[in-house]
Amino acid sequence: MTFLMITGRTVNQGVTVENKTSAEYAAETSTCFMHEFDMLELGLDDGDTIRVTGPCGEVVMRASASVEVETGTVFVPYGPYANHIVAAGTRSTGMPDFKSHDVEIEPTDEEPKTVYELMEDLGGLAYDR
Amino acid sequence: MTELLVKNACVIDPLRGINAETMDIAILDGKIVEEVSDAAEVIDARGMLTLPGGVDSHTHICGTKVNFGRYMSPEDMRAGRTPRQGPLHATSGYSVPTTYGNSYRYSVMGYTTLLEGAMAPLEARHTHEEFVYTPLQDTMANTLFDGNWGIMEAIRDGDTKRVAAIIAWTLRAVKGFGVKLTNPGGTEAWQWGKNVSCIRDPVPYFEVTPAEIIRSIVEANELLGLPHSVHLHCNNLGTPGNYSCTLGSLGLIPDLNEKRQTLYATHVQFHAYGGSDWKDFCSKSEPIARFVDMRPQIVMDMGQVMFGRTTTMTADGPMEFNLYRLHHEKWSNHDVELETGSGIIPVIYRRKNLVNSIMWAIGLELALLTKSPWQCLLTTDNPNGAPFVKYPEIIGLLMSKKYRDAEFATIHPDTEARVPLPAIERELDWYEIAVMTRAGQAKALGIQDLGKGHLGPGADADVAIYPIRMDEVDPSAEYQKVIDAFSRTEYTIKRGRVVARRGECLVDGSNATFWVSPKVSEAYDMGKDPDFIEKFDRYYTVRMRNYPVQEEYLNRNRCIETEARI
Amino acid sequence: MIVKDAVCPFCGCLCDDIEVEVEDDRVVAVTNACELGTTKFMGEKRMKSPILRDGDRWKDITYDEAVQYAADMLLSAERPLLYGWSGTHGEAQCVGVHMAELVRGVIDNTSSVCHGPSILAIQEVGHPGCTLGVVKNRADLVIYWGSNPIDAHPRHLSRYTRYAEGFFLENAFRDRKVIVVDVRKTETASIADEFVRIKPGGDYAVLSALRAIVQGKTDTIPRTVAGVAREQLIRVANLCKSAKFGAVYFGLGLTMTRGKYKNIRNAIELVSELSRHTKFTISAMRGHYNVYGSNEVNTWMTGYPFGIDYSRGIAFYNPGETTAVDILARKECDAALIVGSDPAAHFPRKCLEHLADIPVVQLDPYPNATTAFCNVQIPVAVTGIDAEGTAYRMDGVPIRTRKVLSTDYPSDREVLSRMYALMREALER
Repeated sequence: MTFLMITGRTVNQGVTVENKTSAEYAAETSTCFMHEFDMLELGLDDGDTIRVTGPCGEVVMRASASVEVETGTVFVPYGPYANHIVAAGTRSTGMPDFKSHDVEIEPTDEEPKTVYELMEDLGGLAYDR
Repeated sequence: MTELLVKNACVIDPLRGINAETMDIAILDGKIVEEVSDAAEVIDARGMLTLPGGVDSHTHICGTKVNFGRYMSPEDMRAGRTPRQGPLHATSGYSVPTTYGNSYRYSVMGYTTLLEGAMAPLEARHTHEEFVYTPLQDTMANTLFDGNWGIMEAIRDGDTKRVAAIIAWTLRAVKGFGVKLTNPGGTEAWQWGKNVSCIRDPVPYFEVTPAEIIRSIVEANELLGLPHSVHLHCNNLGTPGNYSCTLGSLGLIPDLNEKRQTLYATHVQFHAYGGSDWKDFCSKSEPIARFVDMRPQIVMDMGQVMFGRTTTMTADGPMEFNLYRLHHEKWSNHDVELETGSGIIPVIYRRKNLVNSIMWAIGLELALLTKSPWQCLLTTDNPNGAPFVKYPEIIGLLMSKKYRDAEFATIHPDTEARVPLPAIERELDWYEIAVMTRAGQAKALGIQDLGKGHLGPGADADVAIYPIRMDEVDPSAEYQKVIDAFSRTEYTIKRGRVVARRGECLVDGSNATFWVSPKVSEAYDMGKDPDFIEKFDRYYTVRMRNYPVQEEYLNRNRCIETEARI
Repeated sequence: MIVKDAVCPFCGCLCDDIEVEVEDDRVVAVTNACELGTTKFMGEKRMKSPILRDGDRWKDITYDEAVQYAADMLLSAERPLLYGWSGTHGEAQCVGVHMAELVRGVIDNTSSVCHGPSILAIQEVGHPGCTLGVVKNRADLVIYWGSNPIDAHPRHLSRYTRYAEGFFLENAFRDRKVIVVDVRKTETASIADEFVRIKPGGDYAVLSALRAIVQGKTDTIPRTVAGVAREQLIRVANLCKSAKFGAVYFGLGLTMTRGKYKNIRNAIELVSELSRHTKFTISAMRGHYNVYGSNEVNTWMTGYPFGIDYSRGIAFYNPGETTAVDILARKECDAALIVGSDPAAHFPRKCLEHLADIPVVQLDPYPNATTAFCNVQIPVAVTGIDAEGTAYRMDGVPIRTRKVLSTDYPSDREVLSRMYALMREALER
C-alpha cells in the first residue's frame, strides 16, 4: 500500500537524541505511526515489523497505531530510519522533502536494524565502546 | 614601549582651538605626548590635513536590528564584497556591511570612534558581541529607554529619582553608554499596533505623555552625571508637518549642563518637514535652525539623505510600518518586551522623487543655516539617510555652493519652490568640517576628557591624515579633490598604530568599549529594590541574574564611573 | 551544590530558570526543566578521549594528535565542508567562520534542514516578530501552525503562551485563545481552543484563503480548502481580526512540506495583512538551543545566515547549491568538519554515502550516528553544562549559558581555536 510519510519531532526522540547509540533511540526513530484502519488492512498488529520502501531504498520499522494520523498517512519520528529512504533532492532550497515522500509499506518478518547497522550498510563503522 | 612621531602635519584641532598649524604629533604607547625620543618611528605628513580621528555620534553598526538588516537582505550583501586578504577578513554588504566591512570602511575614512545609536537593553549582549568584531574603532552604545515600563511607572508616580535609578541599574547591567529615546512612548503604543501623534498624546495604559517622558529622563540623566546628554529621536519621524512637534520637543529642554548640551536631537532632517500631506510637503529647516541657534542646550545631527539604495532601521517600529505601507517592500519588525522595539525596510531615495529631493535639501540646509557647527553634526543616521561611505560627498556639498548647484540641477524640478537651499550661499570651511565630524561629536558625547576628539597630550592617539593640502585646494571649486581626500586617508592611526593607509587596512585591531557606571546610594540600587525585582521576575522572560552583560563581552573595558546625585 | 538560573541547552526556548544540583562533579537533580532538558543535563556516556578510525577499529589518540589531524585535513582539502554549529556556543561559531574563510571552505549550519526555508521567505518579504515576553504579556490569540510544542518545545506553552501569566491579561488562561493548525491531531492540538486540520500539503492554500478573507473577499472561498471548511476559515479569520494581539508560531510543518519557503512567505504576508487591522506577529519555532545564534554569528561575520561558500575568497550564498545536503549529495566536498550536530542521523542516505568516502572530523561530547563516519572524533565539553558561552534564543535574545560543573573536557571554542592557530601557522610558513 502507498502512504504519505511525514517525519517530525517527538518527545521520546528528543529525550533520546543525545544518546543515539541507545536502544530507546533506535526504537523511537524506527516506529512508524499509522492509522488503525490502515494497519487492519495490512493485517498488522501493534509492534509488527514492516518494510518501508521509499524513492531511494527500503528500511524495516515497527508499526504502531496512532490516533494522531489520518488514513493514508504515516508519521515517523525524525531520525536515521526515515532518512534511510528519504531522497536528497532539495529543489534548490537546501531542504529535502522530509514531509512529502510517498512510501510503500508491506508486512515483513525481518527485524529493524540497529542505528549502527544502518550506518555500516552505508560505509560507516560502529563505535561500541 | 612604542613611539611614533608625525612630522609636518597641518593640524586642525578645534577642541584646542588649533586651526591649520603645521606641527609635529608625538605618540607614546597609544597616547599623545609632548615629545618622544629619537628612536621613534617617523611619519612625514608633508603638510597634509591632519585631524583627530573621526567620531560618529550616531550610526547603526552593531546589534539585533542591524544584523537583521543583513539577514533579510542578501541583495545588499552581494552589493559590496571583498575577499580575505592578509590580516583582513572577507566583507559583505553595501548599506549594512558585515562588522568587518563597517570597521574597515570607516577606518579608511579616518574614523576611530563610533557610537551605536540604539541598543535594546534585553539584547545588549548581541551589540557587544558585534563590537568585538568591529576591531578598528572604539565603540559605545546608546541604550533605549523610550518604552521602559518601570520608567513610565515612575514618571506616572512623579518620581524622577526612581527614573534615574532604573537608568543607572540598566546602563550598568547592559554596559551602555548613553540614554536614547526613540519616539518616546510610541514604541510601547506600537506593541498594540498604535502610535502617539506628538508629545501631548498619552501612552496607552501608562497614561504618561512623551513630553513627560522626555522632561523626566532629561532631568534623570543630569542627576546621574552622565557624560552624554539624553539622545532624542523625536516623535513623528518622517511625517509632513512634523517640524512643529520637533520644535515642541526641543522647547521642553532647560539648560542644565555647563559642559555640554542638555539634549542631543538626532537625524533632525527627518523631523524638519512642513506641509499637511505629501502633496504640499516642504522644508522647515529654517525655523528649526533659528530655534537651535538661540538654545545652546541643544545639539543636533543632520541625518542627511543621499540618493541611492539603502536600508532604513530604527527602534521606531510604527514609523517603519508606515514606510512599508508607502513602499510595499519587505518589512521587518521586532518588539522587545517591557522596553522598546525596532523596524527595518529597504528603500531607494530617488532624485526624480520630489519628497526625496526635498529631504536631501533639508539635511544640507540644517547644517548650513545653523550658525555654530558645534550644534549641527554631520551624520546620515547611517544607514537610514545613506550609508556612511557617503560622508565625503556630504562634506563636498557643505564646502561648495558650486557642487550643490550642480546637484540641484539634477533633482526634481519642483524642489526649488519647496526649499530654501538654492538661496543659501554659505560654504563651510575646513575647521567647521573638523568640528562637525570629530571635535563637536566628541564634545557632544562628553568624551573629550577621555581623550577623544582632540590631539592634546594625554589624548588617545587616534589621528587621521588626509592626502590634501589646504593651501593648494579651493574646496569651493575643486570639491572632487575634497571628496577624494576624505574618502581615503593617507594614514589612519588608531591607538598609536597605523591601521589604514591609502585605502587599505593594514592590521586586525581590537576595539575598546566605553560604558557608564553611575554610583548611586544604597536606597536607589534597583538590584535590591523588591518592587523592581518582583516585576522583573514576573514579566520579563529572562531571569534578572542572567540579564547583565558580563565583562567577558568587553574587549578593552573603558568603564566611566559617575557620581550620581541620588 | 545547587546552581540556580542555569540555562538549558536543548531547544530554542533557552529556558534560563533551571536549577541544577551537582554532587561530586555529577548532575544529580534538575528542577524546572522539561523532560528533554532534564535528560540532557543528566546525560552520561560521554566519549572519554579523542578517537581515530584505524581500518575496522577505533583507537584512542591525544587531543594534540586529533587537533593536528583536523587542521591537516582542512588544509589539504580542496573543498571542505564545515557543518553543524547549532549545538555549540557563539564564540566557537565565530572561530568556525574564520576557519572556513581561511581554507576557502563552505560553512553551513543545521538551519538548512530546519528553518532555512523560513529565512528564504524572510529574505523575500521580511519578518514582523517580537520577543517571547511581548507575546506572554499581551497576546490574546496564539496560533501554532505546523508546530507541536508539547513534543518539541515543551515549556513554550507554560512560559510564553497557554499557561503563562501576562501583564495585560486578567486571567491569562481564560482570556488567551490558542489555535493549532496541523495535518496531525497532535497533543498540542488537543489543548487548543480551535484545531484546524489541513490535508498534507495544503498549508499554502489555507493561508491564501485566510488572506482573502482578511481582505474582505470571503465570497471567493470555496466550501472547503485543503480539507478545511469555509465556516472554520471565516471563524479563524475573525478570531485573528478581533484579537488585540495575535502571535503565530510556525514549525517544520510549514518549512518541510510542499511549497517550503513559499508557505512561510504566505504566512508572513498574512501577518503583514493582519497588521493593518490589529497587532500581529509571527515567529519560527527554532529547534536547537543555539541554531538561531549560528544564523546571527554567520550574518554579522559573513553577511548571510547559512550556506556560505568561501571558495572564491568572498562570501557567496546560494541555498540549494551551497547548503550541506546538496554539497554532500553532489559528492562535492572532499573533507568535512562536523561541530554540534549529527548529520548522519538527520540527512538523507545519499549524503551519508559520501560522508563514508571522505575524511570526517567531528567535535561532539557523545558517540552518535555520525561517529560511524568519522576518521576522528574529539569529545568536548557540553555548552551549558561544563562550558560557558553565548546562545541566541529563538526570538533573538542572547543569553550566556552557565557552567554547572567542571570537567577536563575542552570547550568547542578551545579546540577550534587551537585548530585555527595551527592552520594559520601552516599557511604563514
